[in-house]
Amino acid sequence: MNGVPVRDPAVVWRDEPAQKDAILRAQAAGEPADDLGWVLLVVRGEMHELNLVAGEIWCLCDGVRDLDAVARELARRYDAPLDEIRRDVDAFVAEAVDQGWLRLQSGGTG
Amino acid sequence: MELSAPLTVNWTLSYRCNFDCRHCYSRGYSRPELPLADLLRIVDDLASNRVAFVNFGGGEPLLDERLWPVARAAAERGLRVSLNSNGWLLDADAARRLAEVPLASVGISLDGADPAVHDRFRSRPGSFGRAVAALDHLAAAGVPATVSTVIFRGNVGQYRRIVELAAAHGAGTVYLHNFKCSGRGKDNRAELDLDPDGWRAFYEDALAYRAGAPATLAFDDPILALLGAAGPGAVKGSTCGKLSLHLEPDGVATPCGFIPVEAGDVLRDGVATVWADSPVLRKMRQKTPTGKCRSCASLDACLGGCTARAFAATGSFDAPDPHCWAPGDDPPA
Ligand code: SF4
Repeated sequence: MNGVPVRDPAVVWRDEPAQKDAILRAQAAGEPADDLGWVLLVVRGEMHELNLVAGEIWCLCDGVRDLDAVARELARRYDAPLDEIRRDVDAFVAEAVDQGWLRLQSGGTG
Repeated sequence: MELSAPLTVNWTLSYRCNFDCRHCYSRGYSRPELPLADLLRIVDDLASNRVAFVNFGGGEPLLDERLWPVARAAAERGLRVSLNSNGWLLDADAARRLAEVPLASVGISLDGADPAVHDRFRSRPGSFGRAVAALDHLAAAGVPATVSTVIFRGNVGQYRRIVELAAAHGAGTVYLHNFKCSGRGKDNRAELDLDPDGWRAFYEDALAYRAGAPATLAFDDPILALLGAAGPGAVKGSTCGKLSLHLEPDGVATPCGFIPVEAGDVLRDGVATVWADSPVLRKMRQKTPTGKCRSCASLDACLGGCTARAFAATGSFDAPDPHCWAPGDDPPA
């Protein structure tokens, strides 16, 4: 799968940097943080919270980067193996496309 | 998730109103109103702090000419702007002006499926016809319309007809609001409010009806947790003070329009400071369960239900919601 993920303009969203810092602190302390959110989406009146990785991917889906570029940037930020990150990106984007939050457009920066 | 600023601001620019509704939480309220320049400063503050939605209520927002420049400024700054109206003044020309702002949606109050119920509740003959006509004007102008219905004893038996009527006149969503028992709603509660079993029966019926309803049904009642139907959300229990904030005409914040407890001055201190520092808002976010809530299996999802109702009925944020049908001691009325 590749292409440029583009956010649905009807999705209203906001990131909360202080919450992201709190998640990173929890992770550093070895506490469970998978369920903690830092990006809030409002979709057709319903709210969804994105956790650390999903939130990062969402924020990187700027309508310019393609999936390869999103994964590379995330792997760089977290100093993580690219193939592992790419699996996370594919899984989140597939789910978000399914939900109608994103659509995949051909083309991109590669 | 604790937010850096509210996601939604419900803004009362003025309490002036051309109606005299029997459930109204705010009839009789009055506060100083701010000059336009101050209202525009607040818009800037909300936009800078990335508030996403602003909803104008009141009072009747269309009585207030300041609405237009304030709504336009908010829309220009990227906020999604909506308002709630009784529809009386919403003619074709007003609908066109609302489209030009642009409004993301306009909610029309419709509390009965026929004039007999609606006009009596709203104490204004002709108001049913004007509300339905307002929906038609909005549809013609291309403004997304919603309907707000306060469920009470007089309309609970006909709410499905209200939903059908709303959908037939173009409303995409019908908000079936729980009865708040604040202000006039408290004075007239014995006559208007359902008892806990009545609420349970209504919600069970509405949840069964929801999938096949001709419009999206939306509820704002944390007590739905008792039926396992609290929607997906970033917060549990009441959203007031966690996702949303109410602004009074003078720029003072309260947790919501139904809780007349001052939480800070947004004009003076800014929305982010009030949001972060207000002891009142902190108390809304950290309720201490009392009474039957303490041993309730639904507490995690419900958090004591609607704080506004609990506060109106008992004077405490922490009391169990008076609409709650869970077994246990009844909350004091
Ligand atoms: S007992 Fe309290 S927590 Fe349980 S459902 Fe009732 S109001 Fe909610």
